[in-house]
Amino acid sequence: MPTVKNWQLGRNMDYPYDARYPSRQFAFVFNINRCIACQSCTMACKSTWTFSKGQEHMWWANVETKPYGGYPQWWDAKILAKLEEANPDGQVWGGKPADGRFGPYGTFEGQTIFEAAQRTLTSDSARVLGYLPTDEEWNSPNIYEDNPVGKRGVRNKLDETGEQLPVHNTWFFYLARICNHCSYPACLAACPRKAIYKRPEDGIVLLDQAECRGYRKCVEACPYKKSMYRGNTRTSEKCIACYPRVEGTDPETGGEPMETRCMAACIGQIRMQGLVQVAEDGSWAEDRYHPLYFLVHVAKVALPLYPQFGTQPNGYYIPPRWVPRAYLRQMFGPGVDRAIENYASPSRELLAVLQLFRRSNRIIYKYEIQEGPKIYEGSLHGRKVELYNDTVIAFGKTGREIFRTTIEEPIHVRSNAHANSI
Amino acid sequence: MPYDDPEPEDPQELVGVELPGDEAVTREMAAAFADEFAQLGFTRAQILALYREAEYSGAHQAWRLLGEDEVARIVDESVGVWGRFTCIVTDSPDRDGEPEPLRFIRRRS
Repeated sequence: MPTVKNWQLGRNMDYPYDARYPSRQFAFVFNINRCIACQSCTMACKSTWTFSKGQEHMWWANVETKPYGGYPQWWDAKILAKLEEANPDGQVWGGKPADGRFGPYGTFEGQTIFEAAQRTLTSDSARVLGYLPTDEEWNSPNIYEDNPVGKRGVRNKLDETGEQLPVHNTWFFYLARICNHCSYPACLAACPRKAIYKRPEDGIVLLDQAECRGYRKCVEACPYKKSMYRGNTRTSEKCIACYPRVEGTDPETGGEPMETRCMAACIGQIRMQGLVQVAEDGSWAEDRYHPLYFLVHVAKVALPLYPQFGTQPNGYYIPPRWVPRAYLRQMFGPGVDRAIENYASPSRELLAVLQLFRRSNRIIYKYEIQEGPKIYEGSLHGRKVELYNDTVIAFGKTGREIFRTTIEEPIHVRSNAHANSI
Repeated sequence: MPYDDPEPEDPQELVGVELPGDEAVTREMAAAFADEFAQLGFTRAQILALYREAEYSGAHQAWRLLGEDEVARIVDESVGVWGRFTCIVTDSPDRDGEPEPLRFIRRRS
């Protein structure tokens, strides 16, 4: 099996195909601290792409309640258990975090889903360790999560005080998910028809419907379970990253690349999507003033989801700062402590870049900060806070300015009716 | 078997899992929500209303565990920092020569 370089794992790993990298890569950052699971992203995707017959159970974008929710149910617990079974007590990280772009979280010393497959599976067609979720697991995207049900015997009404829910002295958070458009896609590796391909211009992973014969190898292989089978067409389907928008063919922007539907619909302003430059070795090329590059490689607040699976996913998350670290380290790797520290005490530049989230539907390629005076100094929850009136300017693909944000103290204009009142 | 009794073999049956959690985690969760919503421009009254609302389970859970006074104190601290400024977003004109776009004035972040 060929060897490829995985910068998230800080080492080389086995992958069924030779490395091929796009010039730019579709990537995104979700700030979990902000997500309220309003499901606007979910419904934006559903109403755009998966509203047809046979797609009833398809949620290319979904938001699940962690730790107990999941779609399909228990997807991450199941694949983690399979990896643990294949490599007992060996799924650990070691080494020191590198300063550069290769191995920023240390070195993963365990087995990826590709490596574990070689040890545990015998069939030639089984290149990836995975499993096929049952029909029941696909049935309900949010079953038994956090919505209070109504009183017994009262129809079509939610419980007004949530008393039907037990109150636990514990924690949870919302995990919004779409296809990660991985650099080493497990779905692509597993497909016996070679129906799945990664576009050279933007790294979007697509599934050729004309080539697919519905063997469901991709459904089985994708550790994030973002490839889904459609019974009435007997083919599998997956997130297409709203590629007409990313290509800039949507008339709204006049040729400028535009963020996907799920990103644009996010009312919580948790999402930013972009196209990052890729280096020859598959890592991100240095692009200091690209907002996603800054969040992942400079501020180091955004981390990949389950990097230990080995697919080098391109979805990154700012982890929720209240959740116990052991759980987060399993989900996002050992970079969690630094990410939360940096997010809880944000630098001046990070505060500025966070202002770029959801200000425009257009994809930001570069930002610039014009520094302004300090406007506040104090403490918040025991941590020092300094605020500056910096102006952040976002630029699009052609280098044209998209928008700028700045900060002002609010001005209250008294109405004529109360002009003299104090 | 009565209708409401759980069936042990039902794959859809809710499985309880015990997870670590203490007051410090709840307090941090409450502080995180207060910070984020204050940055989104919510006022003190709006944020407190959100904590009282049972449908916002995470915030409501913290409110029930910590109490109104403690949550109000956390919210006051967050609004005291993030609520004092307004974020101004100015879109660029789509093409040269077009009229200046509207300035969208939003509360911070």
